[in-house]
Amino acid sequence: MITTRTAELRWIRADLRARRGQAALTVLAVAGIVTALIIAATLLEDGTNPWRGLFERSNGAHIWIHSKDVPDVSALRRLNGVTDVAGPYHSAPATLVTRGRRVPITLQETPAAFPAVARPLLREGRWLDVRTPNGVVVERSFARALGLRPGSPFTVTGLNGATHALTVAGLAESGDQGFYPEWTPGLAWTLGQTLNVVEPAPGRTETVTGLRLADPATTDLVVQRAVFTMRNQVQRVTTWREVRASMELDNRLLGLLLALFGGAGLAAAALALANAAGGRVLMQLRDIATLKSLGFTRGQVVRMLVTEHGTLGLLGIAAGAVVARLITAYAMGETVVVPLSAGPLAAIIVGTSLTVLIAVLIPAWRGGRTPPIPAAPAAPPRGHLSRLARVALLVRLPPALVLGARDAFTRRTPAALTVCGVAIPMMMITIGLGCWTTLDDFIRHPESVGQAAALTVRPGELTAEEARQRAMADQDVVAAYPGAELDALVPWQTRTVRTRALGLSSDPYPFPVVEGRMFADRGEAVAGQGLLDLLGVRIGDRVRMTIGGTPLIVRIVGRVVEPEQDGEVLSFGVDSLAAKDALPPQFYALVLRPGADAAQVRARLQGQGLEVAQAVNPADRLAVIRVIIVALVAVLALIGLASLLTASALGLRDHVFDLAVLKAMGLTPRQVTATLVTATGLPAAVGVVLGAAAGASWSRWLIDLEGRGSGVGAGIGRAPTPGMLAATLLIAIGAALLVALIPARRAARARVPVTAR
Amino acid sequence: MTADAPVVRAVNVVKIYQTGGLPVPAVRGVDLTVEAGEFVAIMGPSGSGKSTLVHMLGGLDTRTSGEIWLDGRRADTLSESGWAVLRREKIGFVFQFFNLVANMTVADNVELPALLGGVSPRQAKERRDYLLGELGLADRAEASPAQLSGGEQQRVALARALANQPRLLLADEPTGNLDSRNTRDVLRLLGKVHGQGQTIVLVTHDARVASMADRVVSLLDGQIVDDGAIPKSRRRPLGAAGDVVELRS
Amino acid sequence: MRQSLLALLAKEPAHGYELKQALETIFGGAYPSPNIGQIYVTLGRLEKDGYVRSVDVEQANRPNKKVYYITAAGREALETWVEEPTEGPRVRDEFFMKLVLAPMTGLSDRMALVNRQRRHYLALMRDLRELAERTDPANRVALLLIEGAMLHLQADLDWLERCQEDLP
Repeated sequence: MITTRTAELRWIRADLRARRGQAALTVLAVAGIVTALIIAATLLEDGTNPWRGLFERSNGAHIWIHSKDVPDVSALRRLNGVTDVAGPYHSAPATLVTRGRRVPITLQETPAAFPAVARPLLREGRWLDVRTPNGVVVERSFARALGLRPGSPFTVTGLNGATHALTVAGLAESGDQGFYPEWTPGLAWTLGQTLNVVEPAPGRTETVTGLRLADPATTDLVVQRAVFTMRNQVQRVTTWREVRASMELDNRLLGLLLALFGGAGLAAAALALANAAGGRVLMQLRDIATLKSLGFTRGQVVRMLVTEHGTLGLLGIAAGAVVARLITAYAMGETVVVPLSAGPLAAIIVGTSLTVLIAVLIPAWRGGRTPPIPAAPAAPPRGHLSRLARVALLVRLPPALVLGARDAFTRRTPAALTVCGVAIPMMMITIGLGCWTTLDDFIRHPESVGQAAALTVRPGELTAEEARQRAMADQDVVAAYPGAELDALVPWQTRTVRTRALGLSSDPYPFPVVEGRMFADRGEAVAGQGLLDLLGVRIGDRVRMTIGGTPLIVRIVGRVVEPEQDGEVLSFGVDSLAAKDALPPQFYALVLRPGADAAQVRARLQGQGLEVAQAVNPADRLAVIRVIIVALVAVLALIGLASLLTASALGLRDHVFDLAVLKAMGLTPRQVTATLVTATGLPAAVGVVLGAAAGASWSRWLIDLEGRGSGVGAGIGRAPTPGMLAATLLIAIGAALLVALIPARRAARARVPVTAR
Repeated sequence: MTADAPVVRAVNVVKIYQTGGLPVPAVRGVDLTVEAGEFVAIMGPSGSGKSTLVHMLGGLDTRTSGEIWLDGRRADTLSESGWAVLRREKIGFVFQFFNLVANMTVADNVELPALLGGVSPRQAKERRDYLLGELGLADRAEASPAQLSGGEQQRVALARALANQPRLLLADEPTGNLDSRNTRDVLRLLGKVHGQGQTIVLVTHDARVASMADRVVSLLDGQIVDDGAIPKSRRRPLGAAGDVVELRS
Repeated sequence: MRQSLLALLAKEPAHGYELKQALETIFGGAYPSPNIGQIYVTLGRLEKDGYVRSVDVEQANRPNKKVYYITAAGREALETWVEEPTEGPRVRDEFFMKLVLAPMTGLSDRMALVNRQRRHYLALMRDLRELAERTDPANRVALLLIEGAMLHLQADLDWLERCQEDLP
């Protein structure tokens, strides 16, 4: 059996050697797809859960213990499972005074040299320096929220009322605490001596000690032991789980979109291989028949073809994995810290491998079915002038076009292969463009995804009415809707859902209602898809929930596009709330004049002493998708071209005889070229148009499906714009014709003898 | 299997093709026995079923009914892979269009059946060197089939068919695509291997090729109409004082 | 034979035995070896027709030999022979007569006739092939003659096939 294998390997080697370029192209296409998938997944993982990267890079501590006094560090270090200890550091509460506002902060002591464990990651400016003791390093998300930059004044009031003029030296990130404002108070690192100046009273500081564990799963056990070791000193404990939870974004839409692209990538990989292998097998049918006449069994032929083409695919996958690793390590070292975790990586590799094998199995099976009688070479084309062609001749189309068109569709299998080989990548490219348009639409029309208000203003220390007046005084603010966000308890559910009271029933906030209607009266509400799914209700149903003990009964009259909380949000007018919850309003949602720059308005309003938050457009969170779209479109275009090359090679082989005949009939080389280009280009153009049409009609539906699945709700999907679609069609058809032209020209010029091979 | 069993025994073999729902009989009840060492030529007009018969004898095509015994063993009931294994052990095939594997070198083409038959690569190479040497192609071992002339390709195909020292050499119009000089070369080789005891069944149109055989089988409409040895010439052997012209007058 | 002798004499005068040798050298084993008596008879006829003349040449201690040379009339006759087209394929075939007529007499059936004839043709073909193998490869004329015979034989076999297919 071993030597029988030798015969198979000999054939595989010879075949690969005979088509090095094509084989390399196959490997490249698969490698490109796998690279794109892995990088996309890495970006997604990193983007939706920054904790992992931050924690890894800062060598963070899994457990932080806040205690009154300095604990027995050596005892903590001896605890089973603890590998290292950070601190203990002093930490003191203080108040930051900036632009007329007073913001509570925590000042934490840090050595001037970077600590080994729980090391803050400096992003901008300088680290602490003993020579400039009044410099502080501010946690970046907090600094961003307050508009602080390196060099900004950092005026701190201690608990004793004394004010200290410190300066922001740098901004840093940390995996030991969540982002502001989800995690409060804001954090600033200072030198120990500075901390002592701000808070001289030792009784008002606390000590924080970080424990780094060998196995994060033992966290709970270690916490118990640490609390026991430290007796009654422990005030509170935070673990990495809380930090991670606070950093996690609602990533269902992103995940689903990525899954869509993953599916598209897999389909593309399958297509690339099926096309390459299928085309190759079609070209080799005679050789395969010969092999069978020599005594190769059907099983051996299948095994040989699967081995050959499968190896190319697996090689591509391996290359893709390596390249992706290199790219994430070197080219993207700044943005991505940690390579993709094992689970998704394994899923991608196993998924593509399976796809590859299935894609290869079909042509291999086809090859195995070849009867063992080697047919005479190049069976004469069985084509006949179709009715269409006759009509074309009647209306005096150039003969080259007619002949080409006849060729294109009389040989069904290659024609179908070409059409599919072009249509499927084209369809996926169009879907990708649809996603792009959808994202553009998010940004251009935020109101259509429920973000009519670019800013929300919280009164802070002002009264609600003052805040509203100050906000409305700004030239760019068009409207201010009073609002409150409250968690409501749903009967029969152990969890709460977010309710959002915004605007009045008579003057509702412009929610993007996609089904039903806007609430127009007290006791009416609109909901996101996520909420409808969660409660299992439909538009027109009544829901009953309790907010802070007060029952609330509303009728859901419409569905809105709801990008927040996975769509599990119920929205209604402020007047539907009990007065205790509604007055004064927690915040005002500000609708700006079209074209106004939200960041500028925000800066102006902050200058007025208002606490202003800027809405995060879902498109910003989905920006990673754009990178993937570009990469995938490139790879898909390559795949389409590769399958076209296969098709034109196949077409040329079939045409060797016709060429001589055509020339003998008196066609000029140019006409021969035109015939060949038409023969390959026509099915390709048909494929392009079909693919684009299918893609355009499906992209909206698919994205809406994704939207529905993610809770945001259907109604967000957009088809690619007509201009974009037209440009894509033109480029694709042009490229197809160009690819068909090169071999056709060469063939038309070559002298072709009229003999059997 | 048994030493005295005929190499080929076909009993009432029938082949009916279904074309467009209509049954078209190609071979209608053929009985044929070929003893070891015999050289049988099958002649007949095109469409008489001679290629089909040879394809069935080699298992390239399935019989509709009847029995085919090869080397004392019933073969018509074998599965496709059973036939494949039988072919690689006992049958060498030569086709009209040479059918060398285009991607493989001459050497690889000749070694392939030996490797397939389970011979070690070293032995396969030895056998290949011997065969190519015998056929005067030793210097073309690394050439690709496309670089060879038709005659050379057919000689390589013959070497490939003989690589496993098959019990039976089947040939389907081996000279149908060759000019007269290349035909003469291939004929000389066929004569040589037959002289060494090779059993050959060959389909041909070419009287020169058929005249090599010990026995000629004529097919007409899928049936055998004549089966017998080519007689010795009734006149004195030609040559010493040749009379070709006399033959014609 | 008349024309070939005339042609040889047009090249140079020769006596009978020289002519026989020349014919054998040119056509080789493929040509029926001419009988010397036949040559002298033919030369005599040619002389009678006025196409050749002969002169006796004396030889030392041997009988005189007769050397022949071509006349103007002979040259003219030779020219006519060269210029006129040669006769095409045979249309009268003895076997075909048998094939058509014998079944009528009930003496034999067509299938048996055709089969017997085919085997006979193949036997002839084998003789030709063996002859070709024995012939000096340098002798192009002889080999071409054999090949011509083979091609005629192949055509006869093909025709036989047609007869078998088309005659009831």
